[in-house]
Amino acid sequence: MKKHKVLIANRGEIAIRILRACQDLGQDFVCVYTREDAQSEHCTEALKHGGEDSLYRISSYQDPNEIFAVADHSQATAVHPGYGFFAEDFRFARRVVQRSRKLEFIGPSWKIIQDLGDKINTKRLARQLNVPTIPGSDRPIFDDLEAEEVARSLFNFQIEQGIEQPVILVKASAGGGGMGIEEVNDPDRFRNVLRKVKNYARRQFRDEGVLIEQRIFDFNHLEVQILADSHGNVVHFGTRNCTVQSTGRQKRIEVAPGFDPSAVSYAFDAGKVLNDVIEYSVHMAQNVGYNSIGTWEWIVSPTGKPFLMEVNTRIQVENGVSAIIARIEDMEVDLIREQIRIGLGEKMDFDQGSIKFEGVGIEYRILAEDPGNAFTPWVGRIEKFSWPEHPWLRMHTHIPRDRVYDIPTEFDPNLALGIVWGKNLKEAQKRGLTFLNQLTLQGRNNMGENLKSNISYLKEKTDSLLVF
Amino acid sequence: MIDTISILNEIKQAPYKEITISAPHSGRIEFAVDQIGTRVKGASGTWFERPGTLLARLVREGNPKPVYAPENGEVVKFHDVNDREFVQAGTPLMTIRHFLTKQEVMDIILKKALHLFNAPEKGRYYFVAEIDAKIKSQGLRSVSVKEGDEVLILSRMKRETTIPYHGPQGIIYTSYFNSNESVEMGAPLFGVCPEDQVKDIKAVIDKIQSGWEEQE
Amino acid sequence: MDKVRIVRHPQRVCLKDILENVYDNYTEIGGQGEYSIDPSMIIARAYITRNVGKKTYKQPVMVIGQEKGHGEEFRNGGSVKPWGNAKALEYMKVAETENIPIHSYIFTPGSYPVEDYPGAAQQIARNIYAMAGIKVPVVAVISEGGSGGAEAIGLADTRIMLSHGYYSVISPEGAAAIEGRSSASRKASGKLVENCARQLKITARDNLEMGYVDRIVQEPPLGARPDHFEFYRKLRQEVILATDEIILSIRGVKLFRAIALRKLNNPKIYVRWSLSTKSKERLVWRRYQKYRGLSRWAFEDSSTGFQRFKNFALETGWSIYSFLRYEFFGRHQRAITHLAEDVQGEVHALMDRVTHRFSSLFKKLPGVKKDREDVCQLTTLSTWEAGMSWNEHCRYVSPQANQDKTLTCPNSRKSNCLDLWAPDLFGDFAGVCSHCGHHFPMEYEWYLFNIFDSRSIREFNAPIEASNPLEFDGLTHKLDKAKKQTGHKSACMTFEAKIKGIQVVVAMLLARFRGGSVGAAEGEKFIRAAEQARRKHMPFLAYVHGTAGIRIQEGTNGLLQMPRCTLSVRRYLESGGLYLVVYDTNSYAGPLASFLGCSPYQFAIRSANIGFAGPGVIRETTGLDIPPNYHKSFQALSRGHIQGIWDRREIRNNLHHALMTMGGEFLYYR
Repeated sequence: MKKHKVLIANRGEIAIRILRACQDLGQDFVCVYTREDAQSEHCTEALKHGGEDSLYRISSYQDPNEIFAVADHSQATAVHPGYGFFAEDFRFARRVVQRSRKLEFIGPSWKIIQDLGDKINTKRLARQLNVPTIPGSDRPIFDDLEAEEVARSLFNFQIEQGIEQPVILVKASAGGGGMGIEEVNDPDRFRNVLRKVKNYARRQFRDEGVLIEQRIFDFNHLEVQILADSHGNVVHFGTRNCTVQSTGRQKRIEVAPGFDPSAVSYAFDAGKVLNDVIEYSVHMAQNVGYNSIGTWEWIVSPTGKPFLMEVNTRIQVENGVSAIIARIEDMEVDLIREQIRIGLGEKMDFDQGSIKFEGVGIEYRILAEDPGNAFTPWVGRIEKFSWPEHPWLRMHTHIPRDRVYDIPTEFDPNLALGIVWGKNLKEAQKRGLTFLNQLTLQGRNNMGENLKSNISYLKEKTDSLLVF
Repeated sequence: MIDTISILNEIKQAPYKEITISAPHSGRIEFAVDQIGTRVKGASGTWFERPGTLLARLVREGNPKPVYAPENGEVVKFHDVNDREFVQAGTPLMTIRHFLTKQEVMDIILKKALHLFNAPEKGRYYFVAEIDAKIKSQGLRSVSVKEGDEVLILSRMKRETTIPYHGPQGIIYTSYFNSNESVEMGAPLFGVCPEDQVKDIKAVIDKIQSGWEEQE
Repeated sequence: MDKVRIVRHPQRVCLKDILENVYDNYTEIGGQGEYSIDPSMIIARAYITRNVGKKTYKQPVMVIGQEKGHGEEFRNGGSVKPWGNAKALEYMKVAETENIPIHSYIFTPGSYPVEDYPGAAQQIARNIYAMAGIKVPVVAVISEGGSGGAEAIGLADTRIMLSHGYYSVISPEGAAAIEGRSSASRKASGKLVENCARQLKITARDNLEMGYVDRIVQEPPLGARPDHFEFYRKLRQEVILATDEIILSIRGVKLFRAIALRKLNNPKIYVRWSLSTKSKERLVWRRYQKYRGLSRWAFEDSSTGFQRFKNFALETGWSIYSFLRYEFFGRHQRAITHLAEDVQGEVHALMDRVTHRFSSLFKKLPGVKKDREDVCQLTTLSTWEAGMSWNEHCRYVSPQANQDKTLTCPNSRKSNCLDLWAPDLFGDFAGVCSHCGHHFPMEYEWYLFNIFDSRSIREFNAPIEASNPLEFDGLTHKLDKAKKQTGHKSACMTFEAKIKGIQVVVAMLLARFRGGSVGAAEGEKFIRAAEQARRKHMPFLAYVHGTAGIRIQEGTNGLLQMPRCTLSVRRYLESGGLYLVVYDTNSYAGPLASFLGCSPYQFAIRSANIGFAGPGVIRETTGLDIPPNYHKSFQALSRGHIQGIWDRREIRNNLHHALMTMGGEFLYYR
């Protein structure tokens, strides 16, 4: 493998995981940090393992120009975007490979990021390949009459499916992140809502197109972990269930595999659903020429129907929960390590047959927030953070344990990820509770109030994991 | 009573403030000013549309970005950065000594001498109608306030609340807000001077007016 | 330069003197000394008494003109504010209603370049537009005719110039300041001013030779002073004669009396100064032709004889076609269509009632095919016609996008915009800051590719070439350089193109060619484009990529393009056209104060700066310090100068939308 220097364009625990993976592969690395983030452990780690020249202060993690300035000065040859920030920004990925001093982008090629980053395009790609998608339109609709036609047939469609109270969603096709979405449960009100969404879309996105889709209730959120290289090999690392989410659709607990028919009974053939979504995802990855790590996100209706929602063209926070149940030649897998290898042009040195799955993994996201009060983030100083080590526990955090730590307000509020493994769901749940009970997390804000965390919320949710 | 004389003397010991110019972001620095003692100018013009003296250019991704002097003053120190060297964001580049103007000196003294009433919340503030009328007819220093007086109206999200005054009794000496601009929480709204000290403060102000020599 | 000193001498005759001495009596309208909406503009109702035989006739006229006064501060040296020009326009219209001639007296170094409503440029444009069609004779007398201020009341049927006057596109000092910008010194030297004054050919004789004034009134050797009564007599005679002549030349039975008038040169013949409806039309037509014929020698046309013949044949063909299509056939067709629409409506209403009854029955039938199809589309791939996608036209990559560097948004301080990578900014974002929406300038080629349907652009009149009519030093060289650099022969590109299928005629002013300045060639091309749009019954779009004003080195040849182009625009509009103006970058001065500013539909791209004079000129002429955002498009919008601001990324859609909404069935392209 050629010697590279990887610039880690991210912060927090993912920066630490990438840094370790680089070391593991014998590659050099460079880290960046901002003023507010100087106390993060990823800085300490960078200095410890890479010395003075492996850590640069930049003005913002969001500014690509800073990343490139540091990359050029530190003679980096590759960029790892982590998750968030530039991970799914096709312009960033394009600039990495098109600027005059070219670098390797550790992620899919920019064209794939662009294609799969567009929800409409993804939906159409899926339909081309007969991959099931949420019933509704698959292109922006501009014409009112056409929109009404689609809405009417979508109501009829749901009634035919035996849904008693059909609901449809009208979305601004240019929107995202939950903006410009309205619900209609009465066909007569559709025209009104359509006007409203169109007006909003015109103002906000300068584009009047709308999407009309069925609204699916009480679904489970499943993911398929895909890994593909630039030489045409595609494998999967099973499924995850990410149904436990806070308000605002933020994941809090992930479990791998996605369903466990051996421990929980389902109203449908859960094993088949898992196989189906895996097969669809792999099929699609092969067809689009996917060439990195990626996640196919699915929603599964209470009747066991899967629909493809979107594709995340990046490493995800919860990659570790898939890794912990996978074995290649009896060795635990590091997906970030594999992503970097592939990103630097290497061929995959295993195939689907050599990946074995064992047991159940649970990932807990530990945050300072108040689950009782709409998950409001708590801001203050962490004074004590500790846990006993266990062979079945993997802890990822950027919170220092040897000193107090002020939670910066500029970034997402994740504090730590605790991943536990058990040979079956029962054992995993038991170990999960053990972990949460042994965890010490204390702090105070400047009003003198105690730290609020979601630990008790996580405990509460542990019992019902994977129950649909 | 704060000893304004000694404050003034203190300021006179070092009649300037030092401003450190740091790199706003990463890049290669190219100094345009390289002599200690260089006089620099801050932004000027009616709308501050003319930028100050060019101190350096910070080149990043083929884009040389000018770094201008924020105030009038004199370069007193260059930090340990070589010309054409790569600097990280926030690296201190040089220090400028800005000599205080009369107005700035007065502000410093007044802020120390007066009791400052700070904005309890972010929003727009107005004086209540009676006080406003009095200020308009007789000037700011005609208004005397005491603990609990309703002096201000806070206008926020189209709702108006009256704000009572807390602090020592006295006259409103200066006001720091403008009723068409929003005031940040904690920013001073007005300064109050106990009536028996008005004379002293006036004396100090006069002294500054006549005696303070502005240095370039 | 001596001339300039003479006309600016405080002892020179002023309008008040003329009113006292040339006319027999007058009433000043809306002004008394410094109490006036603008003391530098005087309006007066005056009359001239003529004794013919035993009869005495009082002939009323509307006198409009700038008043410099004799050193009175408040007259502002005859530099008229926008509202002064607005008042002038108001009383021109009064004169039109009263059917009396207008005598305008031009004593101005230029207009006062403030943008306050109604706006220097926009008001002058309104004045010129109105004068282009005013239905009473207009006689202009020019003493000091500086630029737009002169044109604001100067579009006349007969222009008389005082022998010591000057008539110029810009004051000699202004020209020298612009010319001298290349040299190091900021203050132009006296020699340069002298040189510029000479080269600009601003004297009465020069202008007479070039055909821009019709007559000269001789003044005493050092210029007319208030007590030169002989001069007043001469002037009186000239204005009467000029008015008579205009009237006679358009009267039905003009021949005999006109000859008599000229041969005998006898002012004693009485000519009634009011006009009949027919004569009014002839008057306006004659005015159009007069200006259409001016300055035609001041540009080069390098097209061959064959091309010219072909163009002529085509033009004639189009005229005939348009007549048949729109006048003859169109009128009948419209009537038929209206009838058909009514009938259709009735039938529809009837059918609805009938079908409704059956449809419920119909739907119950099993396997109705249409519904089936719908259901399929909910879960399978639908067809998406290529035409609906945004990538429908071929891609243009801006040369600005081919650089690996970043740019800083000027608003970055306020809005915290990140630096933008050139390939993203100019390749994907159309030169718009993705954070705050600031518009960086884009080259005109971008618009050609991103506004108009691909491969729909057909340029015409490309061989018309900007030249150097005054042989101004260095201009030939500069023009050659611009021609080489841009590949265009003038700053105006005229073409036909389609916007989402709608045919339009476009005149585009290119900022890259001498700042988009307008000279005789550009004016001619603009006029021909307006004519083409009229002939072919198409909407007419003036796309101002940028214009710095009239090309000053062409002197009055350039200045005359203001009335010339406005006349042609007026003719186009009056025959039913839709005239849209879109400003992109910096759009200033003459063109804005005439043929662009007169459009009822002016839009700006966010990047536009719109105004009469640039900040530097304003500071120099008025001493006012103006804020940096003074000319920004949003300011222009709030002053009421333009009708809307468009985002560059939306311009194609907006233009199409504008054409569709403003173009009813009475517009050309229908």
